[in-house]
Amino acid sequence: MDFFSTAFAIIYQFGDAFAFLVLSAAGLAVIFGMMGVINLAHGEFIMCGAYVTVAVARMGVPLPLAIVAGSIAAGLVGLVIERLVIRHLYHRPLDSIVATWGISLIATQGVLIVLGSTMQGIGTPLGSVQVGALSYSTYRIVLMAAAVLILLVLWLLFYRTRYGVIARATIAAPQMARALGVDTRRVYALTFALGAALAGLAGGLYAPTMTLVPTMGATFIVESFVTVVVGGADIFLGAAPAAAILGVIRAGLTAWQGQFFGQIGLLVAVILVIRVLPNGLSGLILGNRR
Amino acid sequence: MTDISHEKSLVDSAPIARRSRARRWLSHLEGPQTFGSGIAFWTIFVLVVAAACAYPFFADGWTVGNAAYFLVWTFMAMGLSVIWGYAGALSFGQTAFFGLAGYAYGVLTINVGETYGFTFIALVIAVALAGVFAAVLGYFMFYGRIRGVFIGIVTLSVTLVFETFMAQTAGPQWAIGSARLNGFNGMTGMPPLTVPWFGGDIALWPDRPLYYVLLALTVIVYLGLRMLLNSRFGNVLVAIRENPERAEMLGYDIRLYQLLAFVVGGALAGLSGVLYTAWGQYITPNSMGLTAAALPVVWVAVGGRRDITATLIGTLLVLSLFQTLTIYGSQYALVAMGALLVLIVLLAPEGIVLGFANLVDRLTKRRGA
Amino acid sequence: MTILKTEKLKKSFGGVHVARDIDFTLEKGEMHCLIGPNGAGKSSFFRLILGEHRPDGGKILFMDEDITDARSFARIRKGISVKFQVPGIFKALSVHQNLTIAFQNHLHGHDLEATIARVLDFVSLADVATEPAGALSHGQQQWLEIGMAVGVEPKLLLLDEPTAGMSPDETHKTGEMLHELNAQGITILAVEHDMAFVEQIASRVTVLHFGAIFAQGTVSDIIAHQGVAEIYLGGGHGG
Repeated sequence: MDFFSTAFAIIYQFGDAFAFLVLSAAGLAVIFGMMGVINLAHGEFIMCGAYVTVAVARMGVPLPLAIVAGSIAAGLVGLVIERLVIRHLYHRPLDSIVATWGISLIATQGVLIVLGSTMQGIGTPLGSVQVGALSYSTYRIVLMAAAVLILLVLWLLFYRTRYGVIARATIAAPQMARALGVDTRRVYALTFALGAALAGLAGGLYAPTMTLVPTMGATFIVESFVTVVVGGADIFLGAAPAAAILGVIRAGLTAWQGQFFGQIGLLVAVILVIRVLPNGLSGLILGNRR
Repeated sequence: MTDISHEKSLVDSAPIARRSRARRWLSHLEGPQTFGSGIAFWTIFVLVVAAACAYPFFADGWTVGNAAYFLVWTFMAMGLSVIWGYAGALSFGQTAFFGLAGYAYGVLTINVGETYGFTFIALVIAVALAGVFAAVLGYFMFYGRIRGVFIGIVTLSVTLVFETFMAQTAGPQWAIGSARLNGFNGMTGMPPLTVPWFGGDIALWPDRPLYYVLLALTVIVYLGLRMLLNSRFGNVLVAIRENPERAEMLGYDIRLYQLLAFVVGGALAGLSGVLYTAWGQYITPNSMGLTAAALPVVWVAVGGRRDITATLIGTLLVLSLFQTLTIYGSQYALVAMGALLVLIVLLAPEGIVLGFANLVDRLTKRRGA
Repeated sequence: MTILKTEKLKKSFGGVHVARDIDFTLEKGEMHCLIGPNGAGKSSFFRLILGEHRPDGGKILFMDEDITDARSFARIRKGISVKFQVPGIFKALSVHQNLTIAFQNHLHGHDLEATIARVLDFVSLADVATEPAGALSHGQQQWLEIGMAVGVEPKLLLLDEPTAGMSPDETHKTGEMLHELNAQGITILAVEHDMAFVEQIASRVTVLHFGAIFAQGTVSDIIAHQGVAEIYLGGGHGG
């Protein structure tokens, strides 16, 4: 194998891991960074996005539009859940985490009851490209681009729009934001919906590559947790660099020992990291305030 | 405080010291950290235990074995109450310790066998293993000073990774000694707990003898935890839950106390894991999955995590409700569990049993005053 | 004999210096007040002594022992007690439980109960011992925390605005309590705004300004100090 194809293989492995970590963690990180709530129904929003995407795509709608539909559906469900449950628990963030677990149970088992144990999927589109002796899925390369694009769009959203300014003000000083006339409840509601929509988007993007089962959210959840734990509260200074570092670990271990060791390696990395960086990477980057 | 033993001793001082120490521990059976005190409470307690002892005489073997199954889970629930309710650290991954100890019991007993009471040695080793693992994990979490939310997701991640790992051990290369891990289908073929006896060992199948062993264990662990929680140790745990900074500024190494609570909870989850494995002679990776991990949280939240008695009662109530609903299919029962959890958090965050107990307490006090 | 000493203690947060080379000495038996305008670094100085903040440089010595790198709980065990500005009590627990938790590190059984009874008497809370601490009046909560801080006879008591939110009567009574504790041999270092209270209790006063020691002396020295009045515009001589 020549140098170029080896390098491409390594970059592809890393990019694949990075994309998976970023896409699965983005929604969780947005909600956590904003509200301090870890949404344990995160995996179910991903599942929701995947199911809707596949259902819409099988009606003949082009896949990109179907993915958008999946994302919007998850976002709407998020809006409803925020209104019914999360809103009443803002002053008890730890309890709201427990409540989201209840929602996760209802969603997983409810889908199992209504739609059965599996749903017919759609094949991975776009075929493959040949580099050197190996062939690579083109769609997975698209996913890598999508991960980078989503980070870019989120950055623009938080730093270049009115919502972004208000959202960041609300994170920094909720009382102050309220005093300045910001409807913080609306900001929280929109943020929760945004997080849910991002989860749905991840589900939609990965739907063509996976088997659709009601428990499919669990496939994403460990990766999204560890990314947020290593990253800390800030998605750009935390989750994104964390995904890059963890992507190296996961790609390396997966190439060496297979996927299960990739996951175990992530977990061990996380446990070691929390010992030295209690506030995650973003805590380190923003200065250790002790 | 009730006087459990009040006679004055006039014999030499060493036994007095020993006895007064024992008395101090017994006095911890009641205290500010646990609900229930006085003659009335302990009378009810004795009556309930007596009724539980008499119960097998009025039920068939299968039903009694099923009751034993309920008791299996109480240890994990009480352990979670110590960690979450008393020490204030959300542990969402108690099933990791449950599974670890369950598999350890299987591996040990399949390899060594059940003679000479080895099953009980295996039980102790497996529970100790769960405790050691909790100590290692807890060290990194508490000495790393991570916050409440993160403790929840790190512990949950641990149990989910365990599940994934065990689920892929289907191949014949995944065996420890003669014990096949058997991947997603789980491990089978381990012996039940077996008491060595003259003229042949007595195997504790899910029936009356096992029920009595589990009942005795439940009572011992419950009373033991009451004493622990009302001791100096329990005081500090509650102080840390209420205001960790202040507890540290009173000279307590809060990391150490939280770690110890975590080890107690982990070992108790391990005990449940061993007993579960011995009860049904099987264990599967599912017992460490997301759904399995949620159930202890439901039991403890419904009863009232901040009190060990409320947790115990709540756990037994929710387990029997769950089993009743399972008739319609386990997915329906699980939807109900999810809904129950959401409703409890929204409407009765204290827990139903504890809320009710406090209400009764307030009403009787008002009448007394 | 020196009980507490800091040498060139430095700390800054993102460019804001809350401690600039503070050389501070506290003699055993003193009743010392720290004053200074808002943002002068008084609370940060306390947090450095308690180990809640790590200094960027310098040393902290307690009873001639270097405690710069000791963890908070270890410093407390060496004989430092603290009463925070916002009452640092366990509101959901009873007054009695609060005191038990505060003292059980040092005392057991009978001694523990006797000390609790003595302290309850000292801070006038014997009647409400079984009430949840959160149900007490603000002044009573402050006293409870003073009780929690002194029951184990610390060598040094740190008080962050002990009279904040108290009525004049309660303030005066608090001053008497502190004198009594001082007479028992406890060295006291207090951050205080109320100059009348400072006059009532302090044997020496240190003025902090922009994270540095601006002036030091007796209460009358400080009141007479021209520069202090200037930096203290508005916060002036109370009473």
